[in-house]
Amino acid sequence: MPALLEARNLTKHYGSTVALDGVSFDVSEGVTGLLGPNGAGKSTAMKLFLGLIQPTSGSAMLLGEEPYRSTEGRARIGYMPENECLPRSMTASEFLMHMAQVSGIPPGQARTRAADVLRHVGLDEERYRPIGEYSTGMKQRVKLAQAIVHDPVLVLLDEPTAGLDPDGRQEMLRLIHRTANTFGISVMLSTHLMGDVERTADSVLVLESGVLAQEGAVAKLTEETETLLIEVADRHEEFVTALAAKGVHASDDGQMLVIEQAREADYDLIRDAAVESGARIRRLSPERRTLTDIFRSRPA
Amino acid sequence: MRAGEAEVFDLGYQRYTGPREGRSRARLALFENGVRTVLGIGRGGRAKILPVGLFLAVMTPALVFVTILAFLDPVAGDEAADFIPGPADYYSIVSVILIIFGAIMAPELLCPDRRDNVLPLYLVRPLTSNDYLIARFLAFFAIVLVLVYAGQIVLQAGLILTANDQVDYLRENWEDVPRILFMGALIAAFISVGPLAVAAFTTRRAYAAAFIIAAWLLLNSISDGLTFQECTFDTVAQDGETISRTEECTRPVGDLAPYVGLLHLGGVTDNINNMVFDVDPGPGEGSPASIAVSELHDAFPIGVYVLWTGIPALLLWHRYRRIRL
Repeated sequence: MPALLEARNLTKHYGSTVALDGVSFDVSEGVTGLLGPNGAGKSTAMKLFLGLIQPTSGSAMLLGEEPYRSTEGRARIGYMPENECLPRSMTASEFLMHMAQVSGIPPGQARTRAADVLRHVGLDEERYRPIGEYSTGMKQRVKLAQAIVHDPVLVLLDEPTAGLDPDGRQEMLRLIHRTANTFGISVMLSTHLMGDVERTADSVLVLESGVLAQEGAVAKLTEETETLLIEVADRHEEFVTALAAKGVHASDDGQMLVIEQAREADYDLIRDAAVESGARIRRLSPERRTLTDIFRSRPA
Repeated sequence: MRAGEAEVFDLGYQRYTGPREGRSRARLALFENGVRTVLGIGRGGRAKILPVGLFLAVMTPALVFVTILAFLDPVAGDEAADFIPGPADYYSIVSVILIIFGAIMAPELLCPDRRDNVLPLYLVRPLTSNDYLIARFLAFFAIVLVLVYAGQIVLQAGLILTANDQVDYLRENWEDVPRILFMGALIAAFISVGPLAVAAFTTRRAYAAAFIIAAWLLLNSISDGLTFQECTFDTVAQDGETISRTEECTRPVGDLAPYVGLLHLGGVTDNINNMVFDVDPGPGEGSPASIAVSELHDAFPIGVYVLWTGIPALLLWHRYRRIRL
């Protein structure tokens, strides 16, 4: 399966500012998170793939084409910008019909698609109201709807949960999940919120100061570590002393006992220490990393 | 399932398998949307007031002239018919209304798209910024073209129907038809491209409209003021009668008057109109600027028209090519 997006030595300068510095990566089917702090180059990367700007050097390929030179591939992708981008005076229904046609869908089918997609994003009842009267959450849903109204193979979402309250954020993340898993549309999600990526993405690209700092499957990056977490119900001190006597150092982080660099043999020693000290173990598990930990552990 | 036990099934999300017509459909959609936006189609009543009002204003002179013609008796040789403006005069008469239409309605096409940030949504689809501009320009050009032709069609119909002999009238005046079509297209291009270029530099429609109307008034007033011809008269006795004879005519800018007259925005199309309809504006016919410009070779008014449409078109193209998204 060819990559949906391909970056090869992709570089973009704005005057003396380097927004992207020779990054290379592929984006395949599924949900890909493009993660990084503000100014990391996420929006620049998206605009390069959308053909809105030209690379200084290197290439950004969209569905095997250069989006800046060819308009063909752009008919098969969708884009949801971060900022306001909706005409206030139009109704959602009229706007979506228009955007479907601008994506190449004939008027009759555009009308049907607009109605279907508005129903799927939960704006069925509100579709004949001017967009200017919508709440922030509703506008975000119209933005997503216009991005998928022409049934693209890939949709690029730029900070889709920005400005939403917790309920709105949950709803948007659910919609993104449905877009990928029910609608079958691949998603590239640009965000600075690691939680959004952890909840929705299959793979992640981490950009920092214009360079690719990390990439891989979210499941792989957040896999089990060599750190063991132990929660004991009682006889806490005796248990730690028994472990120390067997050569296993356990630190207390206030809630759990933590054993760094645990080996396979340590499990037997922990069992023996528990028996000897009479401590009851409530929980024993390897620690899983979060994307936050990955950020924290990287050298500055 | 028995009759009367119908159920509604949610089929879920359906993939689109129909035709995709690409860039041509995208351009057409933008053109149609432009026409609807200017005319207020699909909007509330308030959005239609301005376009309908301005359309009626452009049509009114033609309707008034035709009504007057209908009440005159051509067979009796009613001299009043000679004073009814013909196709050569009509465009000059409605030019002020047309520029007001352009000033108010052209920004409607470009300003909201940039103010509301809709432009990136267009340009990530199978469209280029040139496609966008051409579709918007053609939408406005088409509306202005209909507007300028509509008045002439009404006027022509009135002139033909009230003529003594319709066939004779058509035989004698058939050349007016290509002239009307050609001149109408030139006027529509001029009225479209300038206001659109101004609208490309602001997101506020009111600013664009005010700038266009102010520029129109200012340039017209300056050029008319500087080309106004003041004559002194000498009174002489001839055959027992006292008559006035022009002794000397002067203009504030002297010999430069014909060139200063080229600054007159209303004259940009009026001067071409005079050429196309083969009219020589004499004293009292047309603005002081157009009278002054008539002393110049035809190449000058043609050059000015090309500049006043070409430079705004280039500005418009350059602005959208460089726009930061």
